[in-house]
Amino acid sequence: MFLTEDQKLIQNMAREFAEKEVAPIAADIDKNHRFPAETAKKMGELGLLGLTIPEEYEGAGGDTVSYSLAVEELARVCATHSVIISAHVSLGAAPILKFGTDEQKKKYLPDLASGRKLSAFCLTEPGAGTDAASQKSEAVLKGDNYIINGSKVFITNGAYAETFIYFAMTDKSKGLKGISAFIVEKGFPGFSVGQVEDKLGICGSSTTEIILKDCAVPKANLLGKEGEGFKVAMQTLDGGRIGIASQAVGIAQGALEAAITYAKQRVQFGKPISANQGLQWMLADMATRTEAARQLTRHAALAKDTQPRFGLEAAQAKLFAAEAAMWVTTKAVQVHGGIGYTRSYPVERFMRDAKITEIYEGTSEVQRMVIAGNILA
Amino acid sequence: MKKIAVCYKWVLNDADIRVNEKSRELDLEKSKPQINEYDRNGLETGVKLKALFPEAELVGVTCGPDVEPSTKDALSRGPDTVYFLNDAALAEADSTTTSKVLAGIVRHLGNVDVVICSEGSSDVYAQQNGPRLAALLGYPSVSYVSAVSVDGDVLTLDRKLEQGTETVTVKAPVVISVSPDVCDAPIPSVKQILGAKKKPAHALTLADAGLSADAVKPLITVNSVKAPLSSRKAVNLGEDVPEAVAKLVKQLAGEGLL
Repeated sequence: MFLTEDQKLIQNMAREFAEKEVAPIAADIDKNHRFPAETAKKMGELGLLGLTIPEEYEGAGGDTVSYSLAVEELARVCATHSVIISAHVSLGAAPILKFGTDEQKKKYLPDLASGRKLSAFCLTEPGAGTDAASQKSEAVLKGDNYIINGSKVFITNGAYAETFIYFAMTDKSKGLKGISAFIVEKGFPGFSVGQVEDKLGICGSSTTEIILKDCAVPKANLLGKEGEGFKVAMQTLDGGRIGIASQAVGIAQGALEAAITYAKQRVQFGKPISANQGLQWMLADMATRTEAARQLTRHAALAKDTQPRFGLEAAQAKLFAAEAAMWVTTKAVQVHGGIGYTRSYPVERFMRDAKITEIYEGTSEVQRMVIAGNILA
Repeated sequence: MKKIAVCYKWVLNDADIRVNEKSRELDLEKSKPQINEYDRNGLETGVKLKALFPEAELVGVTCGPDVEPSTKDALSRGPDTVYFLNDAALAEADSTTTSKVLAGIVRHLGNVDVVICSEGSSDVYAQQNGPRLAALLGYPSVSYVSAVSVDGDVLTLDRKLEQGTETVTVKAPVVISVSPDVCDAPIPSVKQILGAKKKPAHALTLADAGLSADAVKPLITVNSVKAPLSSRKAVNLGEDVPEAVAKLVKQLAGEGLL
C-alpha cells in the first residue's frame, strides 16, 4: 500500500523511538512483569497516545493508517508498548470521541490525548466474555448519579489508567439493549483495582480486575444514550481490532527479522542454516504471511479513514494477522532451535506475546462470526 | 540575532547498506535517505539558539541531487523554513562543490548571523564543509563545538579537543561546526511531523546561489567504493567449554596475540 510522506515520517519516528528507547528495556519489563511507566510517559510526549485525536482536544489529528504504522513499529520490538497505546487510543479515548457529548470531550480528551492520563476499557467479566449480555455489573439511577456495582476482569492498563469506559446493565430485562456505557474516574468513591493478572505474554502491560462498589457515577458521565452500551462496545471494538491487527503484524515482523538474522549467522555442517532450502522455504512463508497480514491491516485502517463502516475489514485483518503472528513466531522459535526456547533470544517472547492477539478484543472465533455475519447478510 | 541557518545533508541510511561479499561493492538498494544523524544535533542546536532569540528566523539549508523529500523531515525538527537546492549536477558533489553551493544559499538568504554545520556526514565524513563555508563567506570558523552560550552577538563556545576542552568567544557572524555531544537530538513528535506541512520550503536554483553549471563540477572523481576485506578463520573449538578455552588461549598465544 502506498504511504503518504506524513505516514512514512510517523512510521520512521515510531521506529526510531522503538529502537532507541523501547528495545533496550523490552526483555527486562517482560522478565520482571514491570509496567514501563517511563516510556509510556514519553509516548505521550511524542503524541503517540493522542495520534488519532483531533488537535482541538490536544491530539495530533493523525489518521488511522499512521496509527496502525506506529502500533506495528512498537510491537516489532515490544508488544507490551503497543498494547498500552492500542488500549488507550482505540478503546479508552475513541469511544469518548465518537459517542461523547461536547462537555465530555472537552473534559476528558485533552488529558488522554496528551498522555497526562491513561485510559482503559472495561467490558469483560468472569461470566461475560464473548457473551456480553451476561454481565452482572449493574447501574441504578438515583438522583443525579448512577450507582454502579460490579467487577471487570482482564482490563489492560488497569492499574495505571485514570479514565475508564465501564459497561453495566441499566435494564437487565432488555439483554444486549439493556447495557449502558459510562465514563468512570479512578478517584470516584467505590472504585478500586483488584487482582493483577500474571500472564503468559505482554508481561509488562498492566492487566487487572476493576471493582466498583456502590460507585456513584454522575449522570453526566453516561456515554451515549442509556441502552446503547452494546453499540458503543461493538463499534469501539471494530476500531480496536485494527490496533490489535497492527500489533500482530509488528510481532510477526520482529520474529521474522530475528529468524532471518539467526539463520544467516548460525553455522551447521559448515554452512549457514539459511543455505538450506528447508529453512529458506520456511522463511519465505513467514515473510509472505506477515506481508499479507500487513496489507489486510492497512486496508482495514484505510477503510476506517474513508468509510462509515469497517467492521468486516477490521475483523478480517485481526483474524488473519493474529493467526499469522502465532504461526510466524512459532516458526521463528523453530528456526532458532534449542536456543530459541530460552530467553537468550527474543523469539520466545514474540511467541508468547503473539498468542494474546488471537484472544483479546474478540477471539479468532468471534472474528469468524463477525465475518460470516457480514458476508451472509 | 536575526537569522540562524543550519546546514544538513540528506544521506542514505548506512545501517541498511549491504556489501556484496564477492565484489565488495556497496548494495544501496534497501537503503533509504534520511537526515544525516549528526546534522540532527545541528538542527537542535539551532532550535536552542532560537529559543534565546524568539524573533530570529531559523532556516534549514540543504543541497543535492534529490533533496526535496527531505524538507518535511527537516521542518519537523524545528526550523521555521527550509531553503533547498535540488540539482542533478550535485550527484557527485565533493566538499569543494558542496561548500560553494551552501555559501551561495547563505548569501542568497542574506544577513545570516550564525551558520551551524555538524562535524561530518555519515556517508563520507570529510569534516570540511564548516571551515570551507566560513572561508567562502569570510566568516570566522569554530569547529568541534560541544557547548554553545550566547550574550548578544557574542558566542561563547566550548571546543572538545583531543587534549582537553578549549573555550573561545567569537562575534557573529560566524560558522560553527558542532560535535554530536553538543546536545541531544530529540525525536520529533507526531504533532511536529504533521505541523511541518504548514511551514514553507523554498526551492532554489544554481543561479539563485550565484553559480553556473561549470562552477559545481566536482574536482574529485570517485572511481569506485569498496568495503574493506575482513576474513575470519572460523575455527570450531568444540563444545567442551574448558577445553575450548584452553585451545583458544594456546592458539592466540601461538599467534603472538597474548
